[in-house]
Amino acid sequence: MARKAQENPALDMTPMIDVVFELIIFFVVTLTEAQKKDETIELEDGRHGEAITPETLPPTHMQIDVNAKGRISMGNHTLTPDEVQRRVAEKYRKIGEFPVLIRADFATPHRDIAKVMNACTAAGIWKLSFMAVGEDKTNERNRLKRVRGM
Amino acid sequence: MAKKPQENPALDMTPMIDVVFELIIFFVVTIKQEDLFSRLNVNRPAPATSSAPSDSDSDDITVTIEIGARWDRNPNGVIVYNKKPLGGGGPGSAAAARKELDQNLRDIARTSKKTPIIVKCAEDSPHKALVDVLDICYKNELFSVSVFTL
Repeated sequence: MARKAQENPALDMTPMIDVVFELIIFFVVTLTEAQKKDETIELEDGRHGEAITPETLPPTHMQIDVNAKGRISMGNHTLTPDEVQRRVAEKYRKIGEFPVLIRADFATPHRDIAKVMNACTAAGIWKLSFMAVGEDKTNERNRLKRVRGM
Repeated sequence: MAKKPQENPALDMTPMIDVVFELIIFFVVTIKQEDLFSRLNVNRPAPATSSAPSDSDSDDITVTIEIGARWDRNPNGVIVYNKKPLGGGGPGSAAAARKELDQNLRDIARTSKKTPIIVKCAEDSPHKALVDVLDICYKNELFSVSVFTL
């Protein structure tokens, strides 16, 4: 059935509103996903490392963020090394060995990473992983590195 | 059924807006691609063996790589192999040092891929140097890497 050409100048807003809502939902979902980590961290390249995919990294893993200033955090909560140790030990008691992934900025001094490593070791986890960029898709990081002169 | 050409000069904008929003969604989704991440796994040495790993077992070859502090204000860290700073160790030597280490580790990997690697990091060394060294180890398929803190 052919639609009659609209006589009223007012636009039919329904499809536009549909699309706008779709966009809003998309951004809300991606933003809440992104807010769970320390956004200031710039990772170093590690192209030859084991690729991180949902298949290779079990959901039981624990990610610990360390930024360039040495702030240790998990899910955007700042933690002391003692608190990290307590959390790791608690999880270790419950489920046994699990992968610990340290997401540290490329400029972080090693002493701050050693604090996290020692906390994990004291809690019973001897195998640790460092997170790196396997494949640079955004190219954002390289630009930042140039700005910082590294 | 043929549509009658519109007599009113005002264009029907709805399909155009639909298409434009679809395009926006397409570009947002494709351009804002996330980096693919990788993980570099390391072992923490047991405290008992950490004191003298090289003295007792003479038949096993272990490779020790040291990462120095920011000597000469080198922001990329200084990689010391066989007691020699690679690439000269000065500022701007980072790329040369990493290439030199790659060559050395390739020779070692040719003999045995099970050779244990010990990386000793100075407290002041930047995390990027450790990740670079681990990446070079992984590139040469040397996977048994332990990390110490000096």
